[in-house]
Amino acid sequence: MARSSIEKEAMRVYVLMGLMLSAFAFLALMLWRIQVAQGHQYERDELRQSLRRVRLPGTRGLILDRQGHTLADNRPSYSVAIYLEEIRQPGPWTKTLDHVETILDQLAIELGRPRTITRQDIQNHRIRRLPLPLIAWRDLDDTHLARWAERASAIPGVDIFTETVRVYPHGPAAGHVLGYVGRADPIPDEAEPYHYYLPEMEGKAGLERRLDARLKGEPGGRLVRVDVIGYRHGDVAVRKPTRGQDVQLTLDIELQEAASRIMGDTPGAVVVLDVRNGDVLALVSAPGFDPNHFIPSISVERWRGLLDDKRNPLLNRAAAGAFAPGSIFKPVVAVAALENNAATPDQVFNCPGSFTLGSARPMHCWARHGHGPLNMRESLQHSCNVYYFRLALMSGYDAIYHTAEAMGLGHKTGIILDHEVGGIVPNDAWKRRVYQDAWRDGDTCNVSIGQGPITVTPLQMAVVAAALGNGGRVFTPRIIQAIRDRETGEMIPEPAAPVRDLDWSPRTIATVQGGMRDAVMAPNGTARLAQVPGIEVAGKTGTAEFGRKEEDLKHAWMIAFAPMDNPRYAVALLTDEGVSGGQTAAPKVGQLLRYLFDREQPYAEAGS
Amino acid sequence: MMPRGMLRKIWRTDWFMHSTVLVLMVMGVLFIYSAGYQSEDMPVSSFYKRQMLWAIVGIAGYITMAWMDYRKLAQAAWWIYAAGLFLLVLVFVVGREAHGATRWLSFFGMQVQPSELAKLAVILLVARYLSVPGRNTKEPRCTIKVLIMGAIPFFLVARQPDLGTAAVLAPMVAGMLFVGGTPPKHLVVLATLGVLMLPVAWFGLGDYQRERIRVFMDPGRDPLGAGWNKMQSEIAVGSGGLRGKGYLKGTQNILGFLPRTVAPTDFIYSVIAEETGFAGAALTLALYAALLATGLRAALVARDKTGRLIAVGVTCMVFFHVFINVAMTIGLVPITGLPLPLMSYGGSFMVSMMLALGLVQSIYLRRERR
Repeated sequence: MARSSIEKEAMRVYVLMGLMLSAFAFLALMLWRIQVAQGHQYERDELRQSLRRVRLPGTRGLILDRQGHTLADNRPSYSVAIYLEEIRQPGPWTKTLDHVETILDQLAIELGRPRTITRQDIQNHRIRRLPLPLIAWRDLDDTHLARWAERASAIPGVDIFTETVRVYPHGPAAGHVLGYVGRADPIPDEAEPYHYYLPEMEGKAGLERRLDARLKGEPGGRLVRVDVIGYRHGDVAVRKPTRGQDVQLTLDIELQEAASRIMGDTPGAVVVLDVRNGDVLALVSAPGFDPNHFIPSISVERWRGLLDDKRNPLLNRAAAGAFAPGSIFKPVVAVAALENNAATPDQVFNCPGSFTLGSARPMHCWARHGHGPLNMRESLQHSCNVYYFRLALMSGYDAIYHTAEAMGLGHKTGIILDHEVGGIVPNDAWKRRVYQDAWRDGDTCNVSIGQGPITVTPLQMAVVAAALGNGGRVFTPRIIQAIRDRETGEMIPEPAAPVRDLDWSPRTIATVQGGMRDAVMAPNGTARLAQVPGIEVAGKTGTAEFGRKEEDLKHAWMIAFAPMDNPRYAVALLTDEGVSGGQTAAPKVGQLLRYLFDREQPYAEAGS
Repeated sequence: MMPRGMLRKIWRTDWFMHSTVLVLMVMGVLFIYSAGYQSEDMPVSSFYKRQMLWAIVGIAGYITMAWMDYRKLAQAAWWIYAAGLFLLVLVFVVGREAHGATRWLSFFGMQVQPSELAKLAVILLVARYLSVPGRNTKEPRCTIKVLIMGAIPFFLVARQPDLGTAAVLAPMVAGMLFVGGTPPKHLVVLATLGVLMLPVAWFGLGDYQRERIRVFMDPGRDPLGAGWNKMQSEIAVGSGGLRGKGYLKGTQNILGFLPRTVAPTDFIYSVIAEETGFAGAALTLALYAALLATGLRAALVARDKTGRLIAVGVTCMVFFHVFINVAMTIGLVPITGLPLPLMSYGGSFMVSMMLALGLVQSIYLRRERR
């Protein structure tokens, strides 16, 4: 039994051997076929082996404004490229390098442009990116292109290489929103040929970065058979590039440009929202920067200039900067008092010009001689500090804190912009964490007039202004209106942003809106410089000191909505280096609103 | 002075196998040198030096394994198998990722592929299990247990994902079952089931694996990427002709048409075929055939069934690697990333191959005296 089992096993080992040998014989046969029988075919292939890999750029999607104006565009850029593989000289590589240098010198004469790359560049290219074309001159203009076609196109191994380059037709107007693209980082993988399909550029900042996955196209390639004199024999294979998705924004670029003109170069920001749906119509941070300077890459001096500028042009003050709001916070306190039934609109406090809390030193109203007795609506019109100290103490800080939070303060709005911050709405827990101290009535008084640790972003205040205008709907501001579908090519609207309805009573709405109307429309209102002929505007100004006292630095603020009876626009504007909200911010808001309504008029008349 | 017994033992080793292994290793270093060579004035990539170092480490492992009694190893088979599985799981936890797959473990700065160890562990365990006295290898139950032993590491390795290495387990286990006494009918049924499972497996594949198979079916699909390697490899092999272009003269390779990152590893055979032509390519195949023959001879003369089955398992592993690698080079199968034993650049693979061959040597050395 054991004997026969061993014999059987041995037999099977022989069978295995037979199988393996026949498999090898099959391989040998195939080798014979490829190497000897059809060998000449492959040998010829290899002699003519000038298969050129041509990259087909994948076009990046466009960014459009709400009217369809192009904000980020692509333009073709023509470069002279040398295909090193094709002009490889027999013998050591130095011979090929010499040859490339000869070609470069010849081309430089024909084109009339000086050489831009050195021998070291050629050497580096050979070692690191041999299969890719070596770019000798970038971005030829028409004259040089014509010269190339006329005199230089017959040089073997040299060809025109097309790339697309990003352009921002409106320059700095929407720089902070759009961001910019830059050269894509190479992937660490060393498998050389795969570099071929890498995108040439990728979003580095702003929407270009946040929406990169949507915007970017996928490059393709073409395998072209080229003979030794550079004649193209046709495509061996093609992989089609794909186009990125177009993105339409809610921004109105004309309004955006008007707003940036009004803001000038003084540090500040302005946000315009549609009161009815939270669409961002304009979002400007001043001073701005021109994203075109980053294409294809920013020069060292320019970059230094941006970084060293004390006004910090790279900061998007509209969403990434948080500042003390000053008196524009007062409407929030009024809403808190009314909605929590801590006070009625008829609540009257007397303003003698200052207010003393316990034994502390007196806190002054900005009107030294006092406002006298005021009701709530009047308190907004005159922006009386003493009224708000007393109203806040009467309502209790909890009511103010929760109302501010419900209106989106202290949290990021969630808009797709770089480095958005949420600002700070302080409370007892916050103060204990940061200052190891309890919340006191003095803190409540400070916050009630928008001073102290509270900070907000202009974008958040625009949301608050819109909520005050529409009676308590808090929008998530929306900046993307539609995105083009990759398959169908249709613009698919982005879903509406989430909304929080605060259900304010009509009494609250009437009182606060009325006070804000009077602040602008009354002859002695604090915001009267924002008046627009023929339009009822409601608003609130604010002034917040920052920095050291002796520097006398102020944030001048204004929030507004208009028209009063059926508001369409909400504005939040911040500008530094101002005298006060009423003196500095209100006129700018007035200009902006005048622009908006002037532009609207022709449509209104045509419609009626 | 060496004791006489030891001298006699060394004399009794398989010198035919020693020389075949040595010739293949030397050829490997020579052609890795050639793959890194561009011209006389350029420094040659240092892969060949490291490969020499790996060859020396491999030889040390080969001698150690030959020295050890394979029966002791077989007795520890369950432990080795458990350790192998542990390391395979460990790869998922702390493994190093490269090229989209996690295959490597770091041991004191050395990179180790546990899947290589797992192959040896499966060979030892299956050999031991099938050779337990009184085991009825004709029973389907026994076959199924062996299949499970192979399936666990298979799925772990395939998950890394390293489908090529996982696939080696199948012919290995099949060969051992066949010699171990499983009725051929059962094996045919299993093979049929395996083929029927292929469409299911397609959905289990990762994207890059599917893409490779698609590229194989249609190289024009990605002519500038993965398809490029395949086309260039075929052109390189084809242009070698009968006698080749001569050592260091392969233009496909020198001009970098065959990507320099794969030439010394998976595509080393294409460098050989280009530079030495059909003559050299066929001779290389013959050397591998000789190596397989020595492996199966060890199986025939083994003193027990355990030894016989280990020798069969190792031989099947070598065979599958060579067959798939050469077939890939000439475009008969998709690019799988299976290296060529003893020749492709790579430390982990070199060492594990040499350990396996040392095991065969250990079986031959302790053969039945006739």
